Amino acid sequence: MLKIENLHVRVAGKEILKGLSLDVQAGQVHAIMGPNGAGKSTLGNVLAGREGYEVTAGSVSYDGQDLLALEPEQRAAAGVFLAFQYPVEIPGVNNTYFLRTAFNAQRKARGEPELDSMQFLKRVREKLAVLHLKDELLHRAVNEGFSGGEKKRNEIFQLALLEPRLAILDETDSGLDIDALKMVADGVNAMRDPARAFIVVTHYQRLLDYIVPDVVHVLADGRIVESGDASLAHKLEEHGYAWVAQRRVAGAA
Amino acid sequence: MEAALLDELGGADTPERAEAWRYSRNALRALAQMSFVAADPDLALAPEVCAQFAWPHTQGRRLVFINGRLSGAHSDLRDEGIVVAADAGTIHIVDAARPLHLVHIGVPGANAARWQTTLDLQVSSARASLIEQHIGVPGGDLLGVFDLHIQVAERAALDWVVLSELGEQAALLRRVKLGMAGQSQVRRSDALFGGRLQRLELGVELAGAQARLESRGTFVLRGREHAEVRLDVRHQARECACDVLWRGVADQRARGIFHGGITVEPGADGSDARLSSKNVLLSALAEIDTQPVLEIHADEVQAGHGATVGQIDERALFYLRSRGIPLEQARRMLVAAFCAQALGAIGDDGLRERIDALAQARLPSPDAAQ
Repeated sequence: MLKIENLHVRVAGKEILKGLSLDVQAGQVHAIMGPNGAGKSTLGNVLAGREGYEVTAGSVSYDGQDLLALEPEQRAAAGVFLAFQYPVEIPGVNNTYFLRTAFNAQRKARGEPELDSMQFLKRVREKLAVLHLKDELLHRAVNEGFSGGEKKRNEIFQLALLEPRLAILDETDSGLDIDALKMVADGVNAMRDPARAFIVVTHYQRLLDYIVPDVVHVLADGRIVESGDASLAHKLEEHGYAWVAQRRVAGAA
Repeated sequence: MEAALLDELGGADTPERAEAWRYSRNALRALAQMSFVAADPDLALAPEVCAQFAWPHTQGRRLVFINGRLSGAHSDLRDEGIVVAADAGTIHIVDAARPLHLVHIGVPGANAARWQTTLDLQVSSARASLIEQHIGVPGGDLLGVFDLHIQVAERAALDWVVLSELGEQAALLRRVKLGMAGQSQVRRSDALFGGRLQRLELGVELAGAQARLESRGTFVLRGREHAEVRLDVRHQARECACDVLWRGVADQRARGIFHGGITVEPGADGSDARLSSKNVLLSALAEIDTQPVLEIHADEVQAGHGATVGQIDERALFYLRSRGIPLEQARRMLVAAFCAQALGAIGDDGLRERIDALAQARLPSPDAAQ
């Protein structure tokens, strides 16, 4: 579904990703772990199409098409979704209006019929129930005055509503208490599907106790330096990232 | 004529007048180079112009002026709560639960034309409501000068929505003097669109104790449009309050100026003065200047002001796009939300939606953007 080859990305003149390669199949959950500054968030932002990230080499192919050639909204319509590490507050834009506009814009771009407000609200209520979210969230402006946990849950709610085919979760666990973490994980697990893939970017192993990945990668200094099954996350938790760095030095020697 | 116009409207004879016209002098000078004839008040209105003001919910309470003169054919006033003097120069809102709709239309003729008029309005109702609308019909050079004197009596309250929509060859200078007696309340919401030069001078005297003014407003400009808003709010009695919140948007080569002057005069103790002016530029060639000027000469005054000029929030724009909303639609949503901060106070839903739609319609398509 997603094939990243030798990706080099520069941000503000500084090279952050230095030859990252990743192959994600439909139905899989990939976890990307790594120390601060390794380039984890850069990866998510590049895949979603944020400006200011200069791809200097490499390629990203999504369902056989060049993902990097698409505008952010085209990527969304093609099924790519980024759950933001820091969801943006947008005063004055009502959450329901925003969600419906996004939902219908994607459908329109795919040549599917748009939903009217009744049909849309019905769908929204179904998804709210699954995530145990309050209706009240819908009447507020997008993320405005939301607590950290509410913002993250709103991201997962959008994920559930928009039903993307490739979901990237950028440190969705940061700033969450254990109850909110479980709720987020439940939301994600309910969405696991043979046709859908997840890339879960995280600093800690904790989230992966609840969202069990098929593959775990360690990202350090702009590259994937180690890949393995779910047990790799536990080894990291035990030994710390320094352990990976030592193994790399040993391998190079 | 040229020199006279410059001198009359924006003369540089005193340093104060020179300063007050600093940002709009060139736009005024361009006007002064034209030869104006007196605008014809008997010109017919095209159906689409009538449709702009013939709102069903203000039927029976509408006064229409064409090129400065009251039009009997288009006016429609049956409400007993509104008393109009024979020459229509003086209007008295005694008791009106429903709004008075005041419409001023500038209609261009074959030559550059000019109109000028003065209106006196007295408000003694505790629930008066006024919709003031200015239309500058496109198609020819036009200059309107409108002086409005409003006196709001003790304990009276006025809810006032002002909408001006001008064609690109229209210029409109409005000089509003608002006097407020003790415990009176005025809530004014302005929306300014279009015009080669539109200038709103809003002078307010909070003359009686505990008078309260709320001024909300927005301007949305594009092309080479030029708008200047100048507020001069004077706290003259104890415990008065003013709360000023304006939002400006300029695209392409448009130019906006907001001057928010609030003076708390000696003896106006216990005043509360708030001012917020935020502005967004949608193009590198657009320009907005904002100047909050607070002068305080009294004691126990609470005052706060903030003024910014910036770009549209790129993070918010990317957030909307990442969810599938196309760039232009995302821009419109953000600009509409920005203006809505100033228009949210309009209680009349239909009117607010109408103004929202006008603001959105004035954002250019991507190919027209610079």
